[in-house]
Amino acid sequence: MKRIPISRCASQLLAPSPLPRRPLCPYAAAKHARRSIVPHSHRVQARFQSTVAVPDEGDLELEMAAHSGPASTSHSRSEPLPLESLPSPHPSAAERSTRLHALRSRLSLPTRFPLQALARTLVHPSADANPAFNNASLSILGRQLLGYYMTEWLLCTYPRLPMDVIFAAIEAYIGPKALATVASEWGIEAAEEPGGEIDSGLLQFKRIRTGDDLPAALRRQAPWKWNVTTTHKIMTTDEFGSEDAPPSPHALEKTPVPSEEAAQAFVRALIGALHVHLGSPLVKRFFRDHFLSRHLDISTLFDFRTPTRDLSHLCAREGFESPVARLISETGRLSRHPVFIVGVYSGRDKLGEGAGSSLDEARVRAAAAALKAWYLYKPAEVTVPSSMEGALDTSTWRPNYVDCGEVIV
Amino acid sequence: MSTTCKALLRACPLQRQQPSLLPLTQCRHESSTRRHRKLLALPEAPSYTRRSTAPTLVFNPPSSAPNVYHTPSKFLPKEDKRLRLYAAAQQHAHKVAHSRQTSPIAAPGTPLHTGSHLPPRPSASLPAPVREPYEKKYHLTESDVQEIRRLRKQDPNTWTRVKLAEKFGCSQFFVGMVAKNVKKAERVEKEHRASRKKWGNRKRLAKEDRERRKALWGRDA
Repeated sequence: MKRIPISRCASQLLAPSPLPRRPLCPYAAAKHARRSIVPHSHRVQARFQSTVAVPDEGDLELEMAAHSGPASTSHSRSEPLPLESLPSPHPSAAERSTRLHALRSRLSLPTRFPLQALARTLVHPSADANPAFNNASLSILGRQLLGYYMTEWLLCTYPRLPMDVIFAAIEAYIGPKALATVASEWGIEAAEEPGGEIDSGLLQFKRIRTGDDLPAALRRQAPWKWNVTTTHKIMTTDEFGSEDAPPSPHALEKTPVPSEEAAQAFVRALIGALHVHLGSPLVKRFFRDHFLSRHLDISTLFDFRTPTRDLSHLCAREGFESPVARLISETGRLSRHPVFIVGVYSGRDKLGEGAGSSLDEARVRAAAAALKAWYLYKPAEVTVPSSMEGALDTSTWRPNYVDCGEVIV
Repeated sequence: MSTTCKALLRACPLQRQQPSLLPLTQCRHESSTRRHRKLLALPEAPSYTRRSTAPTLVFNPPSSAPNVYHTPSKFLPKEDKRLRLYAAAQQHAHKVAHSRQTSPIAAPGTPLHTGSHLPPRPSASLPAPVREPYEKKYHLTESDVQEIRRLRKQDPNTWTRVKLAEKFGCSQFFVGMVAKNVKKAERVEKEHRASRKKWGNRKRLAKEDRERRKALWGRDA
């Protein structure tokens, strides 16, 4: 497979030049050419068949006719079609939408980011099945970018985290629920029903009617195998370690979807559009400002079943003295509410401390705290690999700490 | 410390409940302001004491559980530069503690002795262990294991896991590992299930809640 640069890889997202409906982005204009698309990574191919050939202009004629203004009436002989016949708003309406202008400045995006692209990210495939006008391809790109930046940040910042905790943390940062929350915090409002006459600044998707079931594509599928291994989760499913790969956005054409699905597709598509139009440095800054700035206490994601046993295995593996629980202080041993404070020591070093209303509880909590202290190790200086992308001066690069892995009992 | 407490107790004796028939005699308490002020004049904690006349920050956080994001120095990798910083800080604290006159309430072995942000001094004595630490002995031979199996098979009611563990000086877990008695385990489990069925609603709920709380031990430490 031939590798192509990522900037060129996204040129499919812009419709070719003879199309009247798609205004050109100055950034991508130079790279504008009709070429067949090669997915640049195996994972993209494994997850979604992301390449959808844009069909040649069949119904575009119709849309042209629908929006031929007074200037172009002399060229078209037919009557202008009503706006209602379009599945989604015309791109030329984007410049007139105050909502889009407000959204662009609310997100502090530079004015060279075209409003037409912003309008396109708001059109879910369930509203407009035409892949040249909906956000399906952009949301696939955005999903990969979000997953990449999130994973590299987590792996470099907390190099010892167990895989399950990494999956949970990724889901908490950029999972569907988090993305839907981000969209609502950005002030995205949804249209009741998609259509050409709707304001371009509204999220367009086909709603599920009250009382209807979730469509089959979005329903929880039985996993491909019942004993799903961690390797399978890493290699073949999405970035959250789900048992099954999620449905491709292209598969959701004309299916009614919940609003959360449409909102997360919008956020992903916005990331993809930013990458296409403004380049990766700005996407990285945008990601840092809007996603990494969200606080997540990773220490609450752990669930140890046998912390004492895990800790003694860890100490044996690392060559430390075996852990000993010691009673640091206590109060009310013979009362109804005693409190014991137990520390776990390896040799003379205290590894963790826990409080509990029984000696066993305090001991187990102390062991769990010690394990968390091990797993939540944070190197003093972290340089993520993507920060060196295209940098000429690589002297600031520090190799990241790589851990040998979690404790397996 | 102890003398102070005694004196305070002496200062406020219990009021007599019953009016006695004995004639009232005058008894003198240490209740004057001057004496109380003298008794309560405890030396200040070192973290509150100013070391110089220059304006300083007083850092005396309330005692709390250590943060799990603060990696213990034993868990730091060899090349981490925090190891050197911690060692330097500890050395400095050592030197300061030896050079300065400390107040008796911050004597070595008391909680006020070390700052909460520093690792404990290696010279401080460790607290008592919760359970007596033991070394694994690995002393049982093949014939001992055969004997355990024979006894367990012969009379599982007499030779329970506890008895065998006491006799051979090993753990119950080891006995269960080498001499498994499936029939006895099933019978005991059946008995337990029968007795669990007799539980009332309140007891069952209490036991279930206890299980649920126990599952939280490993989650929100």
